[in-house]
This record gives sequence, structure tokens and C-alpha cells, in this order.
Amino acid sequence: MNLILSDNPLNGLKRKENVHFIDLSALKIANCIGCFGCWTKTPGRCVIRDDAVKVYPLIAKSDHIIYVSRVKYGGYDTIMKTMLERSIPIQQAFIRLHHNETHHVQRDVAPKKATIIAYGDIDKGEKEIFRQLIARNAYNMNFQSYSVVFTEQDALVKTVENEVKKWNV
Amino acid sequence: MERVMILNGSPRAPKSNSKRYAEIFTENCRIQTEYFNITKTNHESLCAKMKDVSNVLFVFPLYADGLPVTLLSFLKFLEENPPETRPVISILVNCGFIEYQQNHTALKMMQLFCSKNGYTFGSALEIGSGEAILSTPFKWLVKRKIKKLATSIIEKKYRIYGVTMPISKNMFIRASTQYWINYAKKNGVTKEEMASMKIE
Repeated sequence: MNLILSDNPLNGLKRKENVHFIDLSALKIANCIGCFGCWTKTPGRCVIRDDAVKVYPLIAKSDHIIYVSRVKYGGYDTIMKTMLERSIPIQQAFIRLHHNETHHVQRDVAPKKATIIAYGDIDKGEKEIFRQLIARNAYNMNFQSYSVVFTEQDALVKTVENEVKKWNV
Repeated sequence: MERVMILNGSPRAPKSNSKRYAEIFTENCRIQTEYFNITKTNHESLCAKMKDVSNVLFVFPLYADGLPVTLLSFLKFLEENPPETRPVISILVNCGFIEYQQNHTALKMMQLFCSKNGYTFGSALEIGSGEAILSTPFKWLVKRKIKKLATSIIEKKYRIYGVTMPISKNMFIRASTQYWINYAKKNGVTKEEMASMKIE
């Protein structure tokens, strides 16, 4: 599956039949409450039955994925971060060694070629922290390979279209 | 006034490990502390109280390699509603992995928040194996480091500390597997069910 997960509506984006687009800003997604239900009560299912439960199965299935997020304090801003926290049902509680570090075991999650398109007013130091974050995400979110692209909000649609082209799908 | 305002940024603050770490901090801090959970509705009152304290300690878990949304939302509010006098900000962050260094990106994010908003960043304690360590014989290691954290904040000799279980990674994986099996057993869920590859 090819997925674009965005915190911005990306108005005017050229849509492709085989590329699924999700505008997180139009969905109703509550904060993770840290209950561990998705690990220890109903494994693989979040107990909060809002729009997030339609999204994390698609993240799991995608082998090409673009995350589009505003950057805040060197990390994802609230909309994307909320969705990522609600995605832990796609992992197990159990821990394994991965790149000689401890990480959670993934459920049926496709290895991903990920592109992270980060936008906003981001200075050099903040970019560096964001890059470090994505390097951590790569281990915890099953990225096979990834790239980080920094851009301005005005250039988002064009940037996303360019990155989709590289998929050759 | 010389006191530490402890703010718990865990999404499950009333039942969180962060709360237990905060309690240990209070027990080992020579100056007065005040403890609050960050909720969706108390941002304004917390920001108002901040002008009266010399130090703030954020206690929170690592979520998806970064700051939990509960804390992020509060920081964004604080950015818009800063106190007249800025306290020194220190942190105590914990993750469930054995490598306390996995908290390091979250630490950098907090330092960035401070530098962008005119706060002095104080000390930090990064805890690994933070989900279970307080229920093990290694609890004293955490207490010792929290005490050092408190002292460094009071004496203004700021430092970055780290602590985790002093066991091999393979032993940690075996112990954590058993921890989670026992956790789910209370809900009537088996190891096999927990290891399901199915999503939704």
C-alpha cells in the first residue's frame, strides 16, 4: 500500500488511484491514555474507538509512506504526534533486540520506505533534533529506508507530489 | 521562592510511573515541592503558579520517541502564556527500554523549548527500564540518582544523569517478557493472544 499521512489538507494535491491520502486534521482522534489495553487486554486493538482505529491498520499495511507534519520543538506537532501515539496497537508489548537495542516486536507491519516531509519555521538546530527523532523512529516504526525533507508550508503540495513521483507507482 | 514545582506530563498521570518517580523526588528533595498532574483543563492555573517558584521539574514518559502529547500541548500553552519570572526547568524522563539513552531526543526537545523561550535548562535524569525498575531490587539505584538530581537542582550544579537496570540486554528481554505476561494475565489474556500478529 502507498500512503500519505498528513496533518495538512494539502488542498490541490494531484490524487492518484493507487495512493491513499489521509488528512489527519479532518479526523477525530483523541490522545492515547497510556492504558496498555492494546497490548494486554485486546491485543492489536485500541480501546478508544474513534477515527484512529481506521488509520493505524493502514500505516501497518503501507510499504511506501509519506508523513507530512509541522515541526514543534524539534518533533512532530500535535496532530501527527497524537496519531503516532495512537498507533502502538501495531506493536506488541514484548521487546526484542533490533540493531543491538531493545525495541518492541512489530505485529503484521510491512517494512517501509518512509519519507518525512517536515514544515514550519525550522532553524538548523531544530532540524538536527528532528533528524535524530526520525533516526529513532526508523527503528521503532519499521522503516527499511527513509529520507527527511524540510520545506515551507506554501511549498507542501509540490513537495509531496515530487516525493510521490519517486515511488514510480 | 525556593521550591520545586513538579509537573507530571504522563497521559495516565494519576496511575503513572512518573507519579511514583515524583514521589521519590519529593522524599529526597531538601526544599519544598508542589506536585501537579498536567490535565487538559489546568494549563492556565499551572502557568499562573509558575511565577512563584524557582524551579520546575517535568516528569514524563517517552512516547513514540518524543514528548507525550499531554506535555507537548502544555508547552505550547506555556509558550503563549509565560510567567513574569522564568523558573529553571529540569526534567525526569523514563522509557520502557533498557537503554536510558533512548530518552535523549526528548531531552533535546526540552532543551530547545527552554532556549527558544528564555528558560534556563537545569538538570535531567534519563531512566531506562522505567516501566518495571521500581518493582525490582534495583529501585535503590533510581532513588540514588533522583537524590542526585534533586541536589544538583538545589545547588545549581546542573548535570545530566542516567540510570537503568544493571543487567544484560538478553536478561532484560527475558525479564520484561515475563513482566508483560504477568500484566496481561490479570486481564485473562495469554502470552499467545498478546503475541497476535493481527491488527484490529
